[in-house]
Amino acid sequence: MHFTIRYLSEYRYGGPVTDNLNALRVRPAATLCQQCDEFQTRIAPEARMTRHLDYFGTEVQEFAVVAPHDELTIDVRARAITRAPSPPPDGTWGGLQSRAYLDAAGEYVLPWKDQPATPGLDQLQERIRAESPLQTLRLLCQEIPQRFEYRRGATYVSSDVGHLLETGAGVCQDFAHLAIVLLRRHGIAARYVSGYLWAASTDGGAKSMEVDTHAWLEALLPSAEPGGEPGWVSADPTNSGLADESYVKIGHGRFYSDVPPVKGIYRGTARSELSATVTMARLDLADSALAAA
Amino acid sequence: MDELFEPDGTPRAVARPLVDALERLGHDGLMDAGRRRDAIFVAQAITFETTGEGGATHERPFPLDLVPRILAASEWDSIKHGLAQRIRALNHFVDDVYHGREIVRQGLVPWRLVASCPHFERAVHDIHPPGGVYTHVAGCDLVRDRDGTWRVLEDNVRVPSGVSYVLENRAAMARLVPELFARYAVRPIEHYPQILLRALRAMAPSAASDATVVVWTPGPANPAYFEHAFLARQMGVELVEASDLVVRDDMLYLRTTRGLERAHTVYRRLDDAFIDPLAFRPDSLLGVPGLIRAYRAGNVAIANAPGTGVADDKAIYRFVPEMIRFYLSEEPILQNVETYLLSDPEVLEHVLEHLDTLVIKPTGESGGRGVMIGPDAEESEIVRMRGVLTAEPDRWIAQDLVELSTVPTLGSDGALHPRHVDLRPFAVFGERVDIIPGGLTRVALEEGSLIVNSSRGGGSKDTWVLADGVEPEAPVPTLADTAAPELPDLRFGQWNDQQQQQQQQGPSD
Repeated sequence: MHFTIRYLSEYRYGGPVTDNLNALRVRPAATLCQQCDEFQTRIAPEARMTRHLDYFGTEVQEFAVVAPHDELTIDVRARAITRAPSPPPDGTWGGLQSRAYLDAAGEYVLPWKDQPATPGLDQLQERIRAESPLQTLRLLCQEIPQRFEYRRGATYVSSDVGHLLETGAGVCQDFAHLAIVLLRRHGIAARYVSGYLWAASTDGGAKSMEVDTHAWLEALLPSAEPGGEPGWVSADPTNSGLADESYVKIGHGRFYSDVPPVKGIYRGTARSELSATVTMARLDLADSALAAA
Repeated sequence: MDELFEPDGTPRAVARPLVDALERLGHDGLMDAGRRRDAIFVAQAITFETTGEGGATHERPFPLDLVPRILAASEWDSIKHGLAQRIRALNHFVDDVYHGREIVRQGLVPWRLVASCPHFERAVHDIHPPGGVYTHVAGCDLVRDRDGTWRVLEDNVRVPSGVSYVLENRAAMARLVPELFARYAVRPIEHYPQILLRALRAMAPSAASDATVVVWTPGPANPAYFEHAFLARQMGVELVEASDLVVRDDMLYLRTTRGLERAHTVYRRLDDAFIDPLAFRPDSLLGVPGLIRAYRAGNVAIANAPGTGVADDKAIYRFVPEMIRFYLSEEPILQNVETYLLSDPEVLEHVLEHLDTLVIKPTGESGGRGVMIGPDAEESEIVRMRGVLTAEPDRWIAQDLVELSTVPTLGSDGALHPRHVDLRPFAVFGERVDIIPGGLTRVALEEGSLIVNSSRGGGSKDTWVLADGVEPEAPVPTLADTAAPELPDLRFGQWNDQQQQQQQQGPSD
């Protein structure tokens, strides 16, 4: 699929603020099934932008507005092309012990140390286990939205898994965190993914829609072939299944705070209002009709 | 072993003049000097905040024992070379971990162990510090085992503290008991602040020779505040807190009465987690937002570099001898204490069977907190530890128990008693590694105790390195000599073009 993405954030402060430093992680990544062919960011008031790749390979744009201002606009526009991921490998549980698997898994299989012992996790872990890592991943993505309510405002940006279990409700960030914790407990490497999701049906319908930044996960699944390479498989525990070409990835990390879309700090009044919108449009609907003809 | 007395109770040759002098001073003389010492330390606020197991804290004069520790020149020589070697290897390791990871590729250190270090800082990945130095100030803890062999017990390359006590102890000793020095040529240590300032200036990313250096303290509530103020005063630089600093245009500025003034090097005396809320702890608003940006841009030098904690992790410690062989192609001069990583089930089993003879340490703590010394532990404590280790083996290491040498120490009864000691020498890595002779000798004041940490009731001793037969030292720099080297002038002539022609031919057959 071919998308244009516009991610517009407008902050209005209750009074003049200064030294407004921000780090953006908003650029669609280049991966095996995704490319980003256009990308630009505009800041108002004007600010010099520096870029670097972080530890996880995500592009970070940093800027600072020093002079007093009472509004800040971050206007990001991107074009991205995605294609369907290859079929997920369905290796056995035994595959998790292979040298190749553990090397590729790296730190993404380590227990989540920031996570306090949370009652309820043990039972969830026990119940959500199937005959293979892939089946477990699928089951997890079905079970989580059934057991928990998707409700904005139920949790906060810094909420942990315990908060989700307590309130029984949360948002995609919480669902992804819970799935990652459970996968790692099963010995399956899992990482948090931030990005954009085209949330319409894939076969037409709307050409343009307002969405939000989205969070899902990637799990490392062992190869079904003996001696084969394991592969990262995208899955979305908010939308009950594996991810397809409607997902545009920005980057990944161990958890949310490794890859937040916008992270900033400023000096001045604490009062601020944010209006953030993500608008996605498909450029390929007419093209695909042509291709089909 | 006792360092001053033979097993039969007679003084060793090197200690004889000291023992004679102590006897001449006598009980009354020593007690009197002790009273004057406490009065001086309290008046100068040379105190230490101690934290008991319950978390209660209180201030007390830093306990300096009046009997010095004596190290022979040859002995110090080997310690000095061993430490310099070790610190170079640790510095290489920090650089490698945040860049090429060669030591991991070679299979010498498991990546997972690195990635699970609490002080492995992903935010400084791929940053090159000015001069390639990360571990500017190091304070490794050394001990001597039963046969007198020196071993490294722990590396400290984050914000090691204690050097102010080394300097104050010497000054106090010279004032209180000058007669003890009479028959010894003790090597001086007073130039430490100049060595430090020279290193901090050498690392400054500044084209001019007047780089601005600041000492950053968390504030008067910090237990080591005295030292922060002491070092700033001795070096003649500003002592600042976060609110005195601001980053603009990726440069660090110091607020002064004349407006903002650029700072080139910051000697920070607080943990990574509190230096930049944008890069570290998202839940903290402490620190200087943007500092890591300025650091990444090469506009400010930070001592020690953020992220060095990965090298003094208690689990990584076990691999330091391998680092020395790998990065330097040398054999380690100073030995480690035998250390067991519990992630290996067989090792864990062995350790669980020998808990009553080993020392167990939590990897994420410092200052002696959470340490269990097997032979001293109650049975119930061992049982509890067995459960803890089985549940979370990765968070603990086990080490062989080192007996620790003793040095005679003045008791409250005015008599000398053997007490266990360790040694923390202070090394400064600027353009080279400089180590001031001796260091902080910490002494466990209770009979038989092996816990020397000052926060747990330990004391200290002036440490004498004798001057006879030493190899010639580099001259001691004076303040005037500590300016950074200037950039080459423009006498190298005009600009020249520099390109490489692409000239590969087709495959030869």
